Amino acid sequence: MIPALAIKNYTLDYATAAGPVRVLHDISLEIAPGEVLGLVGESGSGKSSLAWALMRHLPENAREISGTLRLGDTDLLRLHPRELTKIRGRRLGMVFQDPSTALNPTLPIGRQVTETLIQHRGLSKREADALAIDLLGHVELRDPAAIMRRYPHEISGGEKQRVIIATAFGCRPDVILFDEPTTALDVITGARILELFARLREETGVAALYISHDLALVTRVADRVVVLKHGRLVEEAPAADIFRAPRHADTKALVQAVPRPERRLIHDKPGDEVLLAASDIEVHYGRASIFRQAPPPATRRIGLDVRAGEILGLVGESGSGKSSVARALTGLARFSGKVRFDNHEITAARDMNAAYRRDVQIIFQHPDASLNPRHKVGEILSRPLKLYGGSAAEIPRLLEQVRLPAPYAGRWPHQLSGGEKQRVAIARAFAARPKLVICDEITAPLDVSVQAQIIELLLALRAATGTAFLFITHDLNLIRQIAHRIAVMRGGEMVDLLPIEDFDADHVHPYTRELMAASPVPVG
Amino acid sequence: MSLAWLVRRLMLMVYTVIVVSMLVFAITQILPADAAQSLLGENATPEMLAALRAKLGLDAPAWQQYLHWAGRIFSGDFGISMRTSQPVGPDMLTALSRSLLLTVSSILVTLLVAVPLGVVAALRQGKLTDTGVSLIAYLGVSLPEFVTATLLALLLADTLHWLPATGYVSLLEDFGDGIRHLALPVLTISVILIAHVVRMMRSETLDVLKSDYIRAARLKGLPERTVLFRHALRNALLPVVTIIALDVGYLLGGIIVIEEIFAIPGIGRALMVAITTRDLPSIQAGALIMAATYAVTNTLADMAYAFLDPRIRYD
Amino acid sequence: MTELFVRLIRRPQGFVGIALLALIAMACLFGPALAPYAPEKIDFLGRFRAPGWQNWLGADQFGRDILSRLMVGARSTVPMALIATLAGSAAGAIIGVGSAYLGGRIDEAIMRTNDAVMAIPGLLMALLLVSTLGNGAGNAVIAVAIAFAPGMARVTRSVALNIRNQDYVKAAVARGESAAWIIFREMLPNAMAPIVIESTIRVSFAVMLFATLSFLGVGAQPPASEWGLMVADARQYMYQAPWGLIAPSAAIALTAVAFNLLGDGLRDALNPKDER
Repeated sequence: MIPALAIKNYTLDYATAAGPVRVLHDISLEIAPGEVLGLVGESGSGKSSLAWALMRHLPENAREISGTLRLGDTDLLRLHPRELTKIRGRRLGMVFQDPSTALNPTLPIGRQVTETLIQHRGLSKREADALAIDLLGHVELRDPAAIMRRYPHEISGGEKQRVIIATAFGCRPDVILFDEPTTALDVITGARILELFARLREETGVAALYISHDLALVTRVADRVVVLKHGRLVEEAPAADIFRAPRHADTKALVQAVPRPERRLIHDKPGDEVLLAASDIEVHYGRASIFRQAPPPATRRIGLDVRAGEILGLVGESGSGKSSVARALTGLARFSGKVRFDNHEITAARDMNAAYRRDVQIIFQHPDASLNPRHKVGEILSRPLKLYGGSAAEIPRLLEQVRLPAPYAGRWPHQLSGGEKQRVAIARAFAARPKLVICDEITAPLDVSVQAQIIELLLALRAATGTAFLFITHDLNLIRQIAHRIAVMRGGEMVDLLPIEDFDADHVHPYTRELMAASPVPVG
Repeated sequence: MSLAWLVRRLMLMVYTVIVVSMLVFAITQILPADAAQSLLGENATPEMLAALRAKLGLDAPAWQQYLHWAGRIFSGDFGISMRTSQPVGPDMLTALSRSLLLTVSSILVTLLVAVPLGVVAALRQGKLTDTGVSLIAYLGVSLPEFVTATLLALLLADTLHWLPATGYVSLLEDFGDGIRHLALPVLTISVILIAHVVRMMRSETLDVLKSDYIRAARLKGLPERTVLFRHALRNALLPVVTIIALDVGYLLGGIIVIEEIFAIPGIGRALMVAITTRDLPSIQAGALIMAATYAVTNTLADMAYAFLDPRIRYD
Repeated sequence: MTELFVRLIRRPQGFVGIALLALIAMACLFGPALAPYAPEKIDFLGRFRAPGWQNWLGADQFGRDILSRLMVGARSTVPMALIATLAGSAAGAIIGVGSAYLGGRIDEAIMRTNDAVMAIPGLLMALLLVSTLGNGAGNAVIAVAIAFAPGMARVTRSVALNIRNQDYVKAAVARGESAAWIIFREMLPNAMAPIVIESTIRVSFAVMLFATLSFLGVGAQPPASEWGLMVADARQYMYQAPWGLIAPSAAIALTAVAFNLLGDGLRDALNPKDER
C-alpha cells in the first residue's frame, strides 16, 4: 500500500550570513492512510520547518539538500506552482497554531470557508454556502448560518479554530497537518478541540501529521509518535509505549520533564503563621468617562492568604483574573479591598512601603520583556541590592544561586537564552531576600525541559531561604506537583481554594473537575 | 459605527475647532505687543492707533476679546476685510470652493496612480521596478512643492507649451480651459502625494503579505491573484486611508504655495495676500477655515475607516 | 557607537546618506573659504552665463556665481533646519514623555489638545508666527520649531506609552524605584532610538519648510544666498537661465534626501532584530 505521506532522507539547510545551518538531518518517516503520526519536539527542533517543507512554503534562504517528499504518488518537490495550488487545501490541508491570526480580519467567516470549496470542488456559490453551513454545524458551532455572516473578531478563539478545522476538512484532503492547534487556546477549549479532532478523524479516516511540543498530549491523539531533537529523529514508537519505555536518552529526559501530579516534588508542610492575607480584592482597570461606564472589576472580592514558606497555586484560564491578583498585590493595578502583610495594613498601592516592596517580589511571564534591553545583567541585579541594602559584591553569588556563571554579569539580555533570562529575573527577585515571591506564569513560554529545570531551581531556592510562593499558572498538572494549596479562579471569581490532598475529593467545584478532566495525566 | 462613537468623534471635531480658534486668535491678536501698531505701521498717528484699538476691542482683557471675537465668528460673521472693505466670509468661502476642487482632484489622481504602483513595488520587492519606484518616491518626498511646481511649469508650460503656466478658469465658464488650467497644479500636488502614498502602500502591502492569514490563504490553495485581491489589498489599504487624511493637513499647507505660484484665487492665495497686507480679519478667517476643513476631513476619514474595517464597526 | 556607525554605512541608504551629509557639512563649515568667487560679486558681462569652466553651475541675473552662492548659502539653510528640528523635537519629546508618564485623563487631555493644534498645517502655523513675530531667519527658526513640536509629541508619546507598559518598567515600579530613575534610566534609553530616527527624518521637512518660507518672502531676505530665495529669484528668468533654478532646487532636494536616507538607515541599524 502506498503511504499517504512519505518523507525520505530529507535534509534541509538555512543559508545565513554565518554560513549554512542544518535544520533537518536525513529525516525519513511515513504516514499510512488513516494514520495519525505525532511529531514532538522542543523549540528549535525543526518541527515547524518540516511542516513548511511539506506545504512547500519554505523561507527564501532554505536549501533543500537531499531527499524526497511524497504525498501519495505525487512528488511534492517537483510540483509546478500552478499544480501546487491544486494540492494545497485540496489534498494536503493545514490547521494553524494561532487561530486569531490565521483568519483574515476583514472578510466574513462564510467567505473564508466557501472560497476553498468553490476553488477546489468547483461548487457554485449557493452550493458552497449550503455545504459550509453543514461543515460548520459539523464542527459543533451553534447557529452556523449566523457564524457565516460574522467577522473573525466577533467569535472566540475556540470557535475560530473550529472554523479553520471545518475549512481544512471541507475538501476531504488525504492528509492534514496540525501545527500545535491547541497551544494558543485555553486548556478546556483545547480539550474540546481534541475531542472534535478525534471524532472527525474517526468519521473521515483522514491521515494526519500532528505537530506539538507537548509529549503527553501527542500520545493521546496519535497512533505513533516520532521525537525530533536538533533536526534529527531520535525516537519512533507506538504512542502507547513512549511513556512506558522511552528508548533514547533524549526521550527519557523529555518524559521525565513532563509534569505529573502524582509525582510530588515537595514533601514538607508550611507553618501556620499567615504571611499575607488579602480580602475582598477587586482590581479595576480604566475609569468611567462621560461616554462609557467603568468596565467591571477584573476580580470580584477575592480573598486568599499565604502562609510563611507555603507554595500557594493560583490556577485559571486566560481572563480569569489570576494575573490581576498579582498586579494588585504588587501595586501595579488599582484595587479595592485589604491586604495584611506582617501586621501592616494596605488598602492602596501608596501604602506599600519599602519593607513591603522588599519582602514581596514578582517574576513576570516573559523574560524578554521583564529585563530592560539597555541594561547589562550586572546592572539589573544591582538595583534591588542598592534599593534594599546589599552591595554589588553579591552579584556573583546571586548568579551562582541561579546556576549562571559569574561573567554573565557583563552580558546584555539579548545575549541570553529564554531560560537564562528567566534565571536572571529569578536572581533579581531573590536579591531582595523576599518573604514572598509571586510567579506569574513564569514557565509558560519555556520548553518542558527548561521548565523542569526552573521549577527545580525555585524549589532549591525555597529550601535555602524559606521563601513562600504565590505560583500563578494555567498548568494544573504542574502546580499539583509543587503546591501545598491550590486556588482556582474563573471569570474573576475564586471557585475553589483547596489543600492539595483534597483535590481528588468529591466536594471540589464542578469547574475544577472540568479543568482536571481537560488536563489528563500522561498514561504509562 | 455606533451612535456613541459618532457623537464622541463629532465632539472631538468641535473641540479641535475651538482649540484652533483660540490658537489663531492668540497668535494674531494677543501675541503682537501692539496689534494696532503693527497693523498701521510706523507712520500711524496716536489718534489712528486709539481709534483702531477701540474698533478691535484691544483694550479689553485677552479672554474678553476672545469671547467677543469667537462669538462673532461662530455666528458666521468673519468681519470686514481691511484691504477690500468687503465682508471676509463670502470671499473666503468662494476661495475655499476653488481650493477644494484642486485638492479633491489631486487626491483622486493620487489614489488612481499610487495604490497600484505601491502594490506592484511590493510584489516586485528588491527587483528593478521596486527600486525605480522607491527612488522616484524618495525624490518626490524630498522636493518642496515650490520646486516641483516650478520645475513642472518650466517643462510643461515654458518649454513644451502643453499647458498654461498660470491662471484660473472656472469649470462652469469653460470646462475644457478650466481643466487645462487645473492640470499643472493638480499634477504638482499629485506628484508629492503619490510619492508619499506609494511609500506607505508599498510597506503596508509588504506587512500584510507577511501576515499569518495571507499564509493561511496561500496554504488553502487559493491562486495568487485571489490571495492578493481578496485578502491582501483591503487590509493594506486600511492604514492608507488614515495616511491620506493626515496628508490633507499637509496638502492644505501646500496649496498656499501652489496657489501662489499658479495664481489660483483659492484660500491659500487669499491667506498669503492677507498675511502680506496684514489684513487681520482675513488672516483669522482663512486660518480658521483651513483648520476646520482639516478637522472635518479627518472626521470623515475616521468614519470611512470605521466603515471599511469591520473590527471597529460596533465599537 | 562605532558598531552602530559600521552597521549604518554597510547599508546603501546609510552610506549614501552619510556621504551626502559629509558634503553638506563641508559646505556649511568651509563654504565661504572654498567658494571660487564671493557670493555677492556682481559681473555684468557674465549675466546668465551658462554652466562652463568660468562658472561651473552658471551665473545668475547679476552675473553672480551660482556655485559660490550655493556653498555660502548652505550656512543659512542647513544649520537653521537642524536647530529648529532640535528645539521642536526636544519640546515635543518632553510633552510626549510627560503625557505618557502622567497617563489617565491628563494624558488624554494633553493629547487631544495636541491633536487639535496639529489641525493647523505646519506651513500655515509657521507663516502665522512669522507674520506676527516679523520676517527674518531667526523668527523662522522659532516658527518652524513650534510648528514641529506637536507632531513630535505625538510620536514620542506613543513610543513612551508602549515602553511604559513593558514588564521591565512594571518590575521597576513594583520594586519601588523613584519616578526619576524610571523615566531617565528605564524608559528614556529605550525611547531614544525612535525619537532620533523621527527627528532625523524631520530635518528634511525643516529644510524644505525653511526654503518655502524664504521662497514666499518671509524667511531669509535678499541679498542672502539662502537656497529657497535663490529659487524665487531665478523663477523670473527660468526660461533664459534654467540653471539658476535647477541648481538650488537640486541642493534642497539632495539635503532633504540625505536626511531621509540617514533616518531610514538609522531605523534599520538600530533594529538589529530585523536582521536574518
